[in-house]
Amino acid sequence: MYEGIRSPAVHMPKTMSDLVSASTRFPNATFWAGGTFIMSRHDYYPTRDSNDIISLNEVPELKRINRTDRYLEIGATVSFEQLLTVGKQVLPGLLQMTLERSATKIVRKQITVGGAICTPQIRLALPGTLSALQAEVEVKSCMGPKTETRWLEINRLYDKKGAFLLKKNDLVTRIRLGFEREDFSCHIAAGDPMTNPGETVMLSFACFHNQSVVDRFRMCITFPTSMFLIPHEVDMMMHGTMLPLTTQQIERVVRSIMEEVLSSSDHEIPPIQVERSRRFIESALHELNAQSLSER
Amino acid sequence: MKIECTIDGKHLLLTVNSNKPLNLILADELETPLLTIRCRDGSCGNCVVLLNDEAVLSCLIPAFRLKGARVLTFEGYQKTRFWHDLERAYEDTGSHPCPHCYASKTLIFESLLQMIVKSESGASRDEEPDEETIVREIGLNKCPCLDAHEMLDIFKAAATYRRRRRVRRY
Ligand SMILES: Cc1cc2nc3c(=O)[nH]c(=O)nc-3n(C[C@H](O)[C@H](O)[C@H](O)COP(=O)(O)OP(=O)(O)OC[C@H]3O[C@@H](n4cnc5c(N)ncnc54)[C@H](O)[C@@H]3O)c2cc1C
Repeated sequence: MYEGIRSPAVHMPKTMSDLVSASTRFPNATFWAGGTFIMSRHDYYPTRDSNDIISLNEVPELKRINRTDRYLEIGATVSFEQLLTVGKQVLPGLLQMTLERSATKIVRKQITVGGAICTPQIRLALPGTLSALQAEVEVKSCMGPKTETRWLEINRLYDKKGAFLLKKNDLVTRIRLGFEREDFSCHIAAGDPMTNPGETVMLSFACFHNQSVVDRFRMCITFPTSMFLIPHEVDMMMHGTMLPLTTQQIERVVRSIMEEVLSSSDHEIPPIQVERSRRFIESALHELNAQSLSER
Repeated sequence: MKIECTIDGKHLLLTVNSNKPLNLILADELETPLLTIRCRDGSCGNCVVLLNDEAVLSCLIPAFRLKGARVLTFEGYQKTRFWHDLERAYEDTGSHPCPHCYASKTLIFESLLQMIVKSESGASRDEEPDEETIVREIGLNKCPCLDAHEMLDIFKAAATYRRRRRVRRY
């Protein structure tokens, strides 16, 4: 053992109620899911001020994938790989694409859905995709004697800059997705959010349309350390628009989203992120057009 | 924290900090050679070991997850019969990983070979790895010493030996 380095106590609750009571009794403890984010911080070990650990991995409810009449419910400690293999038939295409493009199988077996949503300092690809799919998350607040459970739209977990808005003792337990399938979706990403966040851009896009008329247009642009943008105005602007889009319509959408991108950051956005965002939006819209033309 | 686990076939009782990463445990407590500790954040892919038969980056496994676990490092793996399939594949193809990443890449190849065995026996829902998966998984180790063709040739050769081994066994 390293001199003077404390060995954190590890709590391994086996039921949801034990988990809630452990989080109440040890409010400073760190929730541990796959551990890939926690352990990849450069100051992770050895350190003098490591918090106690509450492992989420022994609670069966958190490992389950449930299909109800209306929803697909995913436990917070379901791994990316488990979700890919178990849920292939029922997963929305956008989610499948995002999971498959994340890391490698070996790492995906360890990355959990909850862990990828709850990273404190960095926004990864999954929150953007789940926002485009209008997912909801179940949050348990474990402060004091009372536990409050609520369902939130996933985009309410972050502000426009991607800052994580849950409190330290808030626990994400389940993620819920409706069964309505997007008519078109794409996930475009460049860069590595973990090692090169300043250059990385991730775009998730889902479009629901009815006989070539746009019903919902859900896009999310993520810069790992500075932006989590859902351009709601464009969603309203596009509602009722006929596909395929004209060149002018595409230009107008790109301009409108880029104005929001540029105005929502306090500091100057690196030119590579600006350029990548512009190209990704254009490319997503052209792909949408191509698909709508091929369906005619 | 006291942890009982098996490393390379030896049953051990370790006294370590609960959050200590497995790569440091292997290096400090067991002086495992060949395990290079470069990045400490999963980005170099040079610390692969098999944990309960699954390839993992040992820098991302904390001590508390080792309770009752079976760890196989490359040294331990070399003593198994499975190693010969890869050893022969390296010889046949004339391609092999460089000394810096030899241990890690070999264990990633082994995890891919296990996928064939499991998918053919129905023991897992994992499909047999396609070419893209093979190149991507080996790419977890960032050393550029093998190109995609070499990776695929090695895998194909090793898979043939592995399948023969299964046929003979049943
Ligand atoms: C080698 C490598 C490659 C990667 N590649 C990619 C990639 O290609 N794409 C990508 O998007 N990401 C990638 N990642 C990042 C990965 O998605 C994150 O590390 C993610 O946070 C992993 O989830 P986890 O279960 O390991 O989280 P942990 O490390 O266990 O936890 C992350 C954070 O969330 C908190 N937490 C975990 N679960 C909950 C919960 N249920 N409720 C409340 N808080 C919780 C923890 O306390 C911690 O603060 C990569 C990581 C590594 C190491």
